[in-house]
Amino acid sequence: MKPIFFIFAAVLMEVSAAPDGKQLFTMNCSACHLLDQMVVGPSLVEIRGLYEGKPDDFLKWSIAPQKKRPGAIDMPSMVHVGEEGLRVIYEHIMEVSKGAVEKKQEKGDPYAASPTQAVRPQVMRIFMPDASPASIAVALDDLNGLCWDAGSSRLRYAWTGGFIAGFSYWQGNGNGLAEILGPVRYTEQASPFGADTAMKFLGYKLKGGLPVFRYTAGARMVTESYSPVAEGMGFVRSFSVATPDAVVLDFPAQSGVAVTADKGKLEGGKLTLTPAEAAAFTLTYILK
Amino acid sequence: MKTVTFLACVTFGSTAFGWTDHFTFENVTTPAGIDPQVGAMDRMPDGRLAVAFHRGEVMFYNPADNSWKLFASGLQEPLGMLAEQDGSILVMQRAELTRLKDTDGDGSADEYETVFDDFGMSGNYHEFNYGPARDAEGNLYIVLGIASNGASMAREIRGEFSEIGQVDFKGMTTRETWGKNSNAAGRMYARVKWRGWVLKLSPDGKTMEPYASGFRSPNGIGFDAKGRLLITDNQGDWRPTSPLYDVRKDGFYGHPASLVWKKGWNGGDPRLMDVAKLDAMQTPAAGFFPQGELANSPTWPVVIPKGMFTEGMAGQTVIGEMNQPNLVRVLDDEVDGVFQTALVPMFDGSPLGIGNNRIIFGSDGDMYVGKTALSWAGSKGITRIKWNGKPFLSLDKIKALPEGFVLRFSQPLDATTLKTLSVKKHTYDYHQAYGAPKKDEKPLAIAGAKLSKDSMTVTLDVGALEEKYLHLIDMTGLLSKEGDKILGAKAWYNVVKAPN
Repeated sequence: MKPIFFIFAAVLMEVSAAPDGKQLFTMNCSACHLLDQMVVGPSLVEIRGLYEGKPDDFLKWSIAPQKKRPGAIDMPSMVHVGEEGLRVIYEHIMEVSKGAVEKKQEKGDPYAASPTQAVRPQVMRIFMPDASPASIAVALDDLNGLCWDAGSSRLRYAWTGGFIAGFSYWQGNGNGLAEILGPVRYTEQASPFGADTAMKFLGYKLKGGLPVFRYTAGARMVTESYSPVAEGMGFVRSFSVATPDAVVLDFPAQSGVAVTADKGKLEGGKLTLTPAEAAAFTLTYILK
Repeated sequence: MKTVTFLACVTFGSTAFGWTDHFTFENVTTPAGIDPQVGAMDRMPDGRLAVAFHRGEVMFYNPADNSWKLFASGLQEPLGMLAEQDGSILVMQRAELTRLKDTDGDGSADEYETVFDDFGMSGNYHEFNYGPARDAEGNLYIVLGIASNGASMAREIRGEFSEIGQVDFKGMTTRETWGKNSNAAGRMYARVKWRGWVLKLSPDGKTMEPYASGFRSPNGIGFDAKGRLLITDNQGDWRPTSPLYDVRKDGFYGHPASLVWKKGWNGGDPRLMDVAKLDAMQTPAAGFFPQGELANSPTWPVVIPKGMFTEGMAGQTVIGEMNQPNLVRVLDDEVDGVFQTALVPMFDGSPLGIGNNRIIFGSDGDMYVGKTALSWAGSKGITRIKWNGKPFLSLDKIKALPEGFVLRFSQPLDATTLKTLSVKKHTYDYHQAYGAPKKDEKPLAIAGAKLSKDSMTVTLDVGALEEKYLHLIDMTGLLSKEGDKILGAKAWYNVVKAPN
């Protein structure tokens, strides 16, 4: 008798199970829709505002979602849930959102004053504008910032003012770029070792919080370190290049930027160095 | 009959025992001013916990005095970490695998060594990177997530671009026209190198071997106690529900986007291939997390060390979960050399909550769960979970039989509650659409439930098992001899290979 009872009970439970709005919601919707705040998609409070008394419109949207919010991720079609399922999900949303209000979103970056964000100098990997996705933002001091690109092992640009506002990147899943807080005053189009030289990034060391980048340019081992100028706008860029031969590096002149080198000959945007000079030389950039 | 079912519920559902009778859940105070979304955690050789946060800080937490100390900062979305014997730490971030070293002994990292960065970056936000996991020989395994058509690629990318696809480089990288290109790009895409692949690195990181393909958003990679490389992935396109894989060399694990980087690939846009052909190529999942019931977004697998939690759980794998307020315990089985699992909820109905991204065990015997959201449903902070040493009823082992399952429990069972057991099964379609509903769900008749002499083993006769079906064994009504309910009352056994 016992086995028969089991079979019966199991079959019965199966047949009597009507679609459960809460469970279907959890299965299909909860990853992106919270009760009272927008995450990937709008809150249930907002959905209620849009679709209260309009279950057919809700159904239509869920089966064939359109692009509505710029910058938001498109909702996948929920056609697999079926009309009956979508209707009980609708009922569930209307039920739980009854009387709920949208949570006030904090404006601005709640961690802008974090001890690690505020510290100077600072080296921070983040998606930067006008550079590869492997970029590193460097705050040399309160005034001078620069973008080093680990994708091509080279300086991309330098700016002055504040450092970066990273909230558009950090507030979510990284779908945004950091904002540079100040005008870009220096831009480099290619590596001093030439645009066609194979570069390999090896990482960086920190000296007093300032970066010493390490990479190979062709067969040459290079370190390139940065520090702020003693006063005002600009940066000091020190290299060590291990090379058996004399080397000519490109440092093209740029208007509004005064560049001096402590070793070798800097003429027409080209710096010529003996192997001994290449082992340790410094360029100073004064920005206007 | 409805009345009978109802009565059964009342009789067997009224005894209230739960996880909180055996475990305490408390929040660790995270450091002031730091966004406490946890991307990675590991235990240092000295017992401190290393925690990587969303905005790139790596900090040490000392459980003995609740203190925090900054070790490194400025990393980009660290999502994996491996503490090394010498005190250095390997961290997987967006652009590279990095070794953080304190060379001057002042307690903070002064060297950020690039261990491996020979993979592409399209600039798309969804290209998260995971790992490393280290095998017995010291080789490192990382796995690279693929891009989402929620956004285009960046104008400037790192590495080679694959021309295989419906949208060309200009279309893929132009934000302004993305709206009209995004569908043709595929829900998820892998147009830069090694996205969707597991890469095996030599111990020094200098040699790389493309190891396995077919991944989508694999937010969990680790070795189990028997040396299997386990990887979890997220429900979505080509993922009917979230899978657990036992990853082997040269395997293809279902999401086709990564195939464009397969050596000698000439199958065209893999997204447009015949689905049956793709299906035949893929290695089936060792386990499935049913969406909405067990897990929607499973995370990192870790091994429960001996001496922590109950004896029966020692050596088992436990996996985090973002959307459901529980973790997931893995019960492993092998049929003709094929690894397959039953997945069981852990801490369901407890105060654990959601967002369970990373798990580690402290030297204090406690479990630490680090949480995140990254704009999806989730949470933040760290929950510390302590077992009070009191044993409880749980399912400890499961084995597939030619006609059913044998289940081993942690405590003797009340024989009269065996009749509450129920079993059903369903399967899924493999297709490009986002997720898939359960298909062909049906209850299984239990022809017999035999209890062993020690009352701890049940042999469940449900007839021959069906391959490609996920079998749910519902133990909600089971009681121990002492009258305690079972903790973790459901087991989803994925039959890849049916014993004969």
